[in-house]
Amino acid sequence: MDFELTEEEKAHRKEFFEVCKELEGKKPASYVGFEATYGIDECWEYHLYCAKEFAKRGWLALGWPPEYGGTGTMMDQVLFAEARGYHRIPGFDIFGVQMLAPTLLQAAGDSIKKEFLPPIARGEVMWCELWSEPNSGSDLATLTTTAIKKGDEYIINGQKTWNTGAHRAEWGFGVFKTDPAARKHHNLTFILLDMKTPGITVRPIPYMDGGTPFCEVYFDDVHVPAKNIVGQENEGWAVVNLLAGFERSGMVEIMSMFHELEELVKYCNETKRNGQLLSRNPIIRNRVAQLACELEAARAIAYRIADLQNRNEMALMDASAAKIFYSELGERFAFFATDIAGPYGQVKTSRWAPVHGAWEKSFQECFVTTISMGTNEIQRNIIAWYGLGLPRMK
Amino acid sequence: MDLRFTEAQEILRKMARDFLATECPKTLVRELEKSEKGYSPELWKKMAELGWMGLVIPEKYEGMGYTFQDLTVLLEETGRNILPGPLMATVISTFLILEAGTEEQKEEFLPKIARGELIISTALLEAEGTFNASGIAAKATPKGNDFIINGTKLFAEMAHVANYIICVTRTKDTTPPEGGITIFLVDSKTPGIHCEVIPSIAADKLCEVHFENVTVPKKNMLGKMDKGWPIVEMMLRKGAIAKCAESIGATQTCVEMTVAYSKERVQYDRPIGAFQALQHIMADMWTSMQTSRYLVYKAAWMESEGQPCAKEASLAKAYVNEVYKNVGKWAIRLHGAIATSYDHDIPLYYRRSKAADTAFGGTDFHRERVAQEIGLI
Repeated sequence: MDFELTEEEKAHRKEFFEVCKELEGKKPASYVGFEATYGIDECWEYHLYCAKEFAKRGWLALGWPPEYGGTGTMMDQVLFAEARGYHRIPGFDIFGVQMLAPTLLQAAGDSIKKEFLPPIARGEVMWCELWSEPNSGSDLATLTTTAIKKGDEYIINGQKTWNTGAHRAEWGFGVFKTDPAARKHHNLTFILLDMKTPGITVRPIPYMDGGTPFCEVYFDDVHVPAKNIVGQENEGWAVVNLLAGFERSGMVEIMSMFHELEELVKYCNETKRNGQLLSRNPIIRNRVAQLACELEAARAIAYRIADLQNRNEMALMDASAAKIFYSELGERFAFFATDIAGPYGQVKTSRWAPVHGAWEKSFQECFVTTISMGTNEIQRNIIAWYGLGLPRMK
Repeated sequence: MDLRFTEAQEILRKMARDFLATECPKTLVRELEKSEKGYSPELWKKMAELGWMGLVIPEKYEGMGYTFQDLTVLLEETGRNILPGPLMATVISTFLILEAGTEEQKEEFLPKIARGELIISTALLEAEGTFNASGIAAKATPKGNDFIINGTKLFAEMAHVANYIICVTRTKDTTPPEGGITIFLVDSKTPGIHCEVIPSIAADKLCEVHFENVTVPKKNMLGKMDKGWPIVEMMLRKGAIAKCAESIGATQTCVEMTVAYSKERVQYDRPIGAFQALQHIMADMWTSMQTSRYLVYKAAWMESEGQPCAKEASLAKAYVNEVYKNVGKWAIRLHGAIATSYDHDIPLYYRRSKAADTAFGGTDFHRERVAQEIGLI
């Protein structure tokens, strides 16, 4: 067993961190919390700028095969995620680069790969996902939005919801019911569509903090070329499962929390209450140390997942465990940081807020990781059923 | 980066697993808990034949020359099965000789340890129960070519059967208290030593050792006069990681037994493992086990590579302490009343989770160290 990076990997990691640090210097003041990417105009512009900076270095195609513009290795992806997480830099389209690209590489036909992968690698086209519907959250098999084939087109009708950044994205991917008569898991098709197609209406949903990271998307006789599918017709369920398996180690979120921990330590070292620095309070020392332990445990399992994925091995159970663990650690972190800040823990980004209001933001944003990408309760089912082999209730 | 065990480690692991399954059944574990000695000399002999006591001892001293990481692979298995006896006490004491011993001391002790002829226990703690140097009050006073030790040590594991006791003493009162610590290798037959077993939760024979005018030849000093504390720190660090390895093995057994039982036990016409209320707890048990595992492996790897890892050792120990106790607790809860009985295997693990927690520093002790390491002033 060897945790050491190669000299080449160390050099790459250093470069990732240097570039991200430089980009951090250009971050708009309003960019607090990752969801700001979608909610605030200047943050979206910053996202696009960072994407171009990454693209020109080939960093949006790390680990891809060279024929689609690929550079670097799977390990580089992990090291790059560490740097982006630590410096909290957007520019890496979660939907296009992280989810769709590896799915296309494994499951799409050659013409689809050639058409869609290069613009992703160039940071030109931003994507959104179209999964959930008002009555289909965790239970995706009950989706009702239909895509009925007519000639060389699908005609889509229905509604999707909780679509992150759908009001910003140029393209979307999702699953739609293509055979309403077939039994579940055999009636869905994975479709790629231009978000400017006539008949699509996107409405932002105000989040609890007033931001607009999420949208609902309405489809009213939306015509999509029939060639824009991934996998076979009615076999979209397999594509969804494939996509769900990519990069769930949470390295970005974990490294972001490492940065937050450093800020928390600094805050405790500088802030006095009752005539004493917070850092001298044994209860606070104990709790901060506990967070540090949990964070290091999260990072250790993220490396474990990276190690498996580097060898193209399945990391299903570990990925679910990591997702549960780091996302709930995010909740604990937010609760604790806002606690020790006392009355300042409730202050939004302003001159009164500690750490630019990042903790108040986390208190509201922590649900993004616990609920999305398969709720933590679903992740626990995955561990129980597929990992531990426990029986499913009929 | 390659987080797989090496082939040699896989062989060691499998050999240990098979050996312990045959040679150390739970009937023996219970028997040894009740016995006076607390270990089986026959089993000890067989372990010596496998080279376990000499695993990390270099080949020139008749050991196997394996790494610290290899040792943690073995200890994960001893934890997984439960192995009562002085293996941990002896191996951790061995590190003190390896790191601080003179060539003469190494030649005298290491081959005998490797052959299974010596049991060694390190006597560190005293009445206050702290792992900090401030707790060391047992005095060693020079007298000619000897030192005279007076004081009382507590929680020295297996000291009652040890051939040698490594005694951490105070030779000077200093501020800070780390300054005046000296370590001695004491023959346990020396007049003036009295040993008493403290009844403890894992029946793992933690002893109170009285030293009353105990004469130790100066040549038995381990390391330098007054400079013993860094060696103790090394032992605490290695011991903490080693104990973590044992604990993740034990945690894994708790998870596996609980999952297996929940598939068999039928209530309300179905296996209880079909209920989500239980499934989610088992998923959490597995998650906490798996998050511990790579934290421990990383610390073990760093220690093995000779990298500074005081922080990683404390991060791991503080985390694993709580994981083992909680997984053990849930293992009993999910089994139900049956697992509260003395004859059930799960309580053997649950009780040891408390013993493992206190060994080489409890959760709060290590959290405080983490607090310092991450820069809280």
